[in-house]
Amino acid sequence: MSKKLISLADCCMAFDGELVLDHINLYINDSEFLTLLGPSGCGKTTTLRIIGGFLTPTSGEVMFDGVRINDIPPYLRQVNTVFQRYALFPHLNVFENVAFGLRIPKTEGEGRSRKKVKLPEEEIHQRVLEMLEVVSLKGFEHRRVTELSGGQQQRVAIARALVNRPKVLLLDEPLGALDLRLRKDMQNELKRIQQQLGITFIYVTHDQEEALAMSDTIVIMDQGRIQQIGSPEDVYNEPKNAFVADFIGESNILDGIMHEDYVVEFFNRKFKCLDKGFAPMEPVDVVIRPEDVDIVPKDKGQLKGIVTGVTFKGVHYDTIVDFKGFKWLIQTTDYHPEGETIGIILNPDDIHIMHKSQYSGMFGDYSSYSEEYEELEDALQEGGDEE
Amino acid sequence: MRKQSRFGSRLLIGLVFLFLYAPILLLIVFSFNAGDSSAVWRGFSLHWYAQLFQNRIIMESVYMTLLVSLLATVISTAAGTFAAVGLYSLSRRKREALMTVNNIPMMNADIVTGVSLCLFFVAFFQGWGVFAKWFNGIQGAVALPTRLTLGLGTLLLAHIAFDIPYVILNVAPKLRQMDKNLLDAAQDLGCTWMQAFWKVALPEIKPGIVSGALIAFTMSIDDFVISYFTAGSSSSTLAMTIYGMTKRRITPEINAVSTLLFLSVLTLLVITNVREARLEKRNAKDFSPAPAKPRPAAVEKAAQWMGSPTGRWAQRGLAALCVAVFAIVVSGLANATTSRPVVNVCSLGEYIDTDLINQFEEETGIRVNYQTAESNEAIYSLLKSGGADYDVVVTSDYMIAQFIEEDMVEPLDYGNIPNFERIDERFRNLPYDPENQFTVPYTWGTLGIIYNTNVVSEEITSWSALYDDKYAGNVLLINNSRDALGEALLYLGYSVNTTDEAEIRQAFDLIASANRRGVFQGKASDEVFQKMEGGNAAIATYYAGDYLSMLDNQADGVELAYVIPEEGSNWFVDAMCVLKDAPHKDAAEQWINFIASTEANLANMDYIGYASPNREALEKYPAYYEELYAEELDMELYEIMAAPAEVLERCESYLVLPAETRALYNELWVQLGT
Repeated sequence: MSKKLISLADCCMAFDGELVLDHINLYINDSEFLTLLGPSGCGKTTTLRIIGGFLTPTSGEVMFDGVRINDIPPYLRQVNTVFQRYALFPHLNVFENVAFGLRIPKTEGEGRSRKKVKLPEEEIHQRVLEMLEVVSLKGFEHRRVTELSGGQQQRVAIARALVNRPKVLLLDEPLGALDLRLRKDMQNELKRIQQQLGITFIYVTHDQEEALAMSDTIVIMDQGRIQQIGSPEDVYNEPKNAFVADFIGESNILDGIMHEDYVVEFFNRKFKCLDKGFAPMEPVDVVIRPEDVDIVPKDKGQLKGIVTGVTFKGVHYDTIVDFKGFKWLIQTTDYHPEGETIGIILNPDDIHIMHKSQYSGMFGDYSSYSEEYEELEDALQEGGDEE
Repeated sequence: MRKQSRFGSRLLIGLVFLFLYAPILLLIVFSFNAGDSSAVWRGFSLHWYAQLFQNRIIMESVYMTLLVSLLATVISTAAGTFAAVGLYSLSRRKREALMTVNNIPMMNADIVTGVSLCLFFVAFFQGWGVFAKWFNGIQGAVALPTRLTLGLGTLLLAHIAFDIPYVILNVAPKLRQMDKNLLDAAQDLGCTWMQAFWKVALPEIKPGIVSGALIAFTMSIDDFVISYFTAGSSSSTLAMTIYGMTKRRITPEINAVSTLLFLSVLTLLVITNVREARLEKRNAKDFSPAPAKPRPAAVEKAAQWMGSPTGRWAQRGLAALCVAVFAIVVSGLANATTSRPVVNVCSLGEYIDTDLINQFEEETGIRVNYQTAESNEAIYSLLKSGGADYDVVVTSDYMIAQFIEEDMVEPLDYGNIPNFERIDERFRNLPYDPENQFTVPYTWGTLGIIYNTNVVSEEITSWSALYDDKYAGNVLLINNSRDALGEALLYLGYSVNTTDEAEIRQAFDLIASANRRGVFQGKASDEVFQKMEGGNAAIATYYAGDYLSMLDNQADGVELAYVIPEEGSNWFVDAMCVLKDAPHKDAAEQWINFIASTEANLANMDYIGYASPNREALEKYPAYYEELYAEELDMELYEIMAAPAEVLERCESYLVLPAETRALYNELWVQLGT
């Protein structure tokens, strides 16, 4: 689990002079489920294509198992890819799609003794059927791929890649085109397959929930740079900056001043917190997760605010509260009607302090918050995420 | 009201289609005409189709057309496909810019493409000549040919050039529709780029490639204009041959070959469209929800197989067609590559009994590449363009004089042409070749007035009839400046070879004034046959030999007469000559000797209706005719074909005019308008 399989050292990528990847340093362990997460255009697909061999980085090194592979073409790499929208071969049936990679003669040996080796037909047959069973598509061998549903096509794509027994499987937004229900099923399915076969998955997505649910490690990217690398818990609980805090889950992000270790001031009031190591009186970003806020009667709270919007979400209410012109999102199980004045209490472990960054002031205010807007943005990212 | 308007629109559509297809229908119907008129129905017959397959000039050009079209299709399909793939990998802006560049040749006028390709080739050949001479000079190991000419190679290049855009246009959209990741996916699974292209991209874009190839093939088969400018002398496509044949008359043979051409192009188009319709249907099916139950492979395949009978038949038909065509081309290639000696002959259209060509080939083993041009002037410009590699050319006296003047012909070795002895004294040492060093006469004849005696009641004796208001709207003016002005000069009592500008202008005024008064129905060269035979014009001027063939085809109620007016007329000789630097001079002289023989002259006289210059042939023709047709030759008609000495004395032959006079002729002729 701890062996380094792939590493990218100081990789940059520029298209027509425009820097798309900016000094990426990253390593991927054997048998790890690693997710590259970020909004459209963040460089995650570019990173994946560099690992797949479809792009050569402008500078930097790509190492695989200790060997530099910058110039190794895709067909010689021990990785296989599940493409966005599957890229199944329409003129072949399910069986032939999966068998495609096995039917390509492989070059074996060195120098004089080099020769092309073809797999025997029985072995191909056996491996394809085995793999179809893994992805629960037994009995579909002779179907035309164009007659399959989206989820079935997805499985064919996975089987087609895995049948070659790659050391690493690259998945480029593989669930993007599926509906929500199917996406959840496939998440579990993918995780199961990864664990069953014990190979490394590198997974690209812009969906933070998907990333949190499946990954061992999440790499959050924006504008060609890695913003944070960590386990799902790490990136959720300890976001490095306002971008990460906003991208992973919902966050209220406020300007604050760190007076001394464990004491932060915001809204002209000092709060106890668990963070230390900042310079005295350093301006900081303060993150407060919506679900961590406790609502109390107005006179019992540390801060007072007026409810300006309520949305029922099933398990909880999304309550928008105005504190001196700054709007917070608070998730509670109790209903507080619009116009009510409420108080809140923040415990020290509810407050997370981050250094100021280029993203400060860009996120964390819910003044313009609306469900529709978020959904719209999601849809845009799904549609336009191509490099 | 509404019903009426629907009827109206149907009527309109019907009329539009009638307008579009009636001419073709007419052509098809008349290709089955038992008689050889294009105006009068004489019963059903397949005679002309049988004739067609025996006509070696047509069959050779069919073979040439298939060879060029097929090779051009294969090469341009490969080149166009790769070009489309190249375009596909460019950025959108560059791709669109290049697609516009690609589309221009298709929109461009064929004539511009043809002329520019011709210019390009000729310029290249000249540059090549200089290079090859230099190269051969500095080393002795490889001898490069110094003289390149237009021919099969250039024709093929031109076809490839104009076919490629059509292929790109058909393949590019299929590539754009293809999932961009397919190629990546195949490479990811172990293919090199090339393998990925063959295994994945090719099956995806195959429909585009096939329709591109079909369209390229269709364009190649029916192209005339571009071929005309790039084929040079030695290769003639079907369209070019048809054009050459129409010079004299649209015979039912042409109808037959045109019908076959129309049907093959139609078949190709139908196949293309059926294919497309079928593919659209299949694509539409792909978007429908997946069937609930998986079907066994065999059932699946059978269903697909039976699902589209039209598509299946189209595919089978296409395959059969390809195989057949391929077989023809391969056998033809085998034939052509058996390095037989060859002689390239250029003549005027419909101007030989084609059996003679076969006979010569059998006797000597020399292959005859027989090509036709539509006029003396066309031969001249072909030669001047530098693109021709003829050995023997048949053309008229005044044109030969010009050839000699411009040092374009080679002196003949008459020791190799013993049959020259049989040429009558009258046709030797004529002004165009005073010492008879360069030529052997081929045919001779007179120019005269042809008129319909059922319309023109009195006997015509003078050229004045051409300019007479009495016959307003009934006269056809011959459509070449030399003859038209020559007639007027004769009427005015001047020489046809005058260089006096005043006399020529006076002659022109005579024609122009008659033209203003509406005497002329129009100008005619080819059309004269149809018009005179059908009785649509009453008076025309043309050549004696052609009068005889009109006589055989005149419609009921038309009775044509031929007269050489009292003022005299032009008499002409068409002769054979060998071009300077001809690559096959020996074979050329063998051919000339063969054609000059009495037997060949008899056959030609009978077939084309023009008089022979061979003394023995002229004497033996009446007996030959009697034996052939079991009836006596009408001596009056024979005297029209082969005018007796006293008639020839009244006639003048054309001499080559000085350049400034030729320019004046051209200028005046343009002034006259159409």
